[in-house]
Amino acid sequence: MNGFTAFFKKELLEAIRNYRVLILFSVTAIFGMMSPLTAKMMPDILANVGVEGMVLKIPEPTFIDAFTQFFKNFSQMGTVVLLLVFGGLLSQDLAKGTLIIPLSKGLSRHAVILAKYASALTLWTLSYALATLINYGYTLYFFQTISVSHLFFSLFCLWLFGAFLLAFLLLASVVTRGAFGGLLVTAAGLGILLICQAIFRMDPFNPLKLVSENVALLTGKAAFDQLLNTAWSTCALILSTLILAMMLFKKKSI
Amino acid sequence: MIQDYLPFLIPIIALELILALTALIHIFRHRSFRFANRFIWIAIVLFVQIIGPIIYFAIGRGEDS
Amino acid sequence: MNILEMRHISKNFGKHLVLNDLNFTVPEHSIFGLIGKNGAGKTTAMKMIMGFLKPTSGKILVCGENVAYGNTATNRFIGYLPDVPEFYGYMTAKEYLVMCGRITGLKKLQIHERVQELLPLVGLDGIKREIHSFSRGMKQRLGIAQALLNTPKLLICDEATSALDPQGRKEILDLLSVAADQTTVIFSTHILSDVERICDSIGLLHEGTLALHGKLSEVKNTYRKEAVRIETIDEVQARRLFEHLRTLSFIQSVETSQCAVTVQLHDPQKNGLKIIDLLSDEQIPITNYQLLEPTLENVFLDVIK
Repeated sequence: MNGFTAFFKKELLEAIRNYRVLILFSVTAIFGMMSPLTAKMMPDILANVGVEGMVLKIPEPTFIDAFTQFFKNFSQMGTVVLLLVFGGLLSQDLAKGTLIIPLSKGLSRHAVILAKYASALTLWTLSYALATLINYGYTLYFFQTISVSHLFFSLFCLWLFGAFLLAFLLLASVVTRGAFGGLLVTAAGLGILLICQAIFRMDPFNPLKLVSENVALLTGKAAFDQLLNTAWSTCALILSTLILAMMLFKKKSI
Repeated sequence: MIQDYLPFLIPIIALELILALTALIHIFRHRSFRFANRFIWIAIVLFVQIIGPIIYFAIGRGEDS
Repeated sequence: MNILEMRHISKNFGKHLVLNDLNFTVPEHSIFGLIGKNGAGKTTAMKMIMGFLKPTSGKILVCGENVAYGNTATNRFIGYLPDVPEFYGYMTAKEYLVMCGRITGLKKLQIHERVQELLPLVGLDGIKREIHSFSRGMKQRLGIAQALLNTPKLLICDEATSALDPQGRKEILDLLSVAADQTTVIFSTHILSDVERICDSIGLLHEGTLALHGKLSEVKNTYRKEAVRIETIDEVQARRLFEHLRTLSFIQSVETSQCAVTVQLHDPQKNGLKIIDLLSDEQIPITNYQLLEPTLENVFLDVIK
């Protein structure tokens, strides 16, 4: 427990001094502000670029559009940012050999994985919460009303996907070498998930569903129950990924 | 019409500038980079919005911060 | 009591056999020098003691407890200084030591006390810079502070002086001598003079096994070469002396380089007088006459021949 707390603190300090916190919070804040704004400005933008003689019929945007933008930003750019910011989470430590001294001081290897996951998850949660709050406030200001069921669950799904991504990144970093091994394997893993979703229609248990169906859930085009199942299976997946990462890390030559 | 949205655009632009500036200061204070050289990074940070500074901090930064 | 026991340790990486049935023990309160050429397996052996590498076969005991690969509880007895210690560059020395203290389970007050003791000891007191701006020597000294933090029973230093300049080396060696008052030290190196300076017992790692093991003084005695070095005033005299010495029966070998003549002989105490007789008979003026002490380097070269 000592080891976990000490290493967790070290991770947070590292995140601050290596600009991770700055980047993560700026970018998510930007997403939070930009999403409702883009939705609101869309008709005006389209009107300006409209080709002469062509009349664009644009429906008045609603708060749903704001959340559509929000989900789009986070599931695309957000994933990339999350991967870039946390790509070196474990790989960097392993490649540089900076873990050797803490481990020689009796730090348990399980604590390394858990502290790293906990710190990354904390930062992701806080920055995502910040973005959500900003997005909610702006949306409320621009569109006055937000009334939809499953909004919270829909937002939760996106958060859960981030949590899954981080766990997978840790596992990938355990099994690879080099400073960017974990990052590359995770990117490849995401590619495989995309292919599974697009070609093989392996939907029910694919965590990607968490970020592709949020809007459909809000507009009532997707079933809540199905997504709930995906959420549960993703939770189980996160747990087993972490356990596997810990088991493999324990036997890794440092 | 832009004027209507200006109060909302300013904080976004400000944040982007903060990111770019932090990266630029870092680039000017350091001599070694893991990939490429100073000029390429300056260009990336200045011209690739948001992602530019992130890529710099994630993979371009030299070994010893 | 033996602090460390290596029993029948073998390790191969693929087909390459690095350690081959390595056996040795290190008793309490000694400074043990593990010597070997680069690539002889010193670092491998040390990493195995730390549980970072898994021996292909064999057993390691630290303070009587078995070392388990992966997480090993025996690390609580050990302070480890890697060959090139890597720190978190964004921390200050003090922050780093405090983190290490927490990890190893010291109380807040204890950490504070130890850090206040150790920072002046290693000469990093009052340095508020972040570690990435430290010189190699400073990092090495921080490494020692870190290793001593939990007052270990065994201090393992892997090539602690190899990458340093003479000044930095002296500082580290002095620190290790001080540390050795309270703990057992294992010190690996390929720099023999460092070993002679601080170690009291040595092990010579060659071709995966200990080619030599024992107290430094005993090892030197065993491999004592009986030799005398005579310096004459010029090369002509050296040449003359060389020619005369070659004919003497008790001389094993004789070499000359410029003004100096080096002679290997039986029983230098007695036969040395005969050489001096020769010098006065032949009227060869000399500037220096010296009985050669065996150096570790000679021993080393002899053993790995």
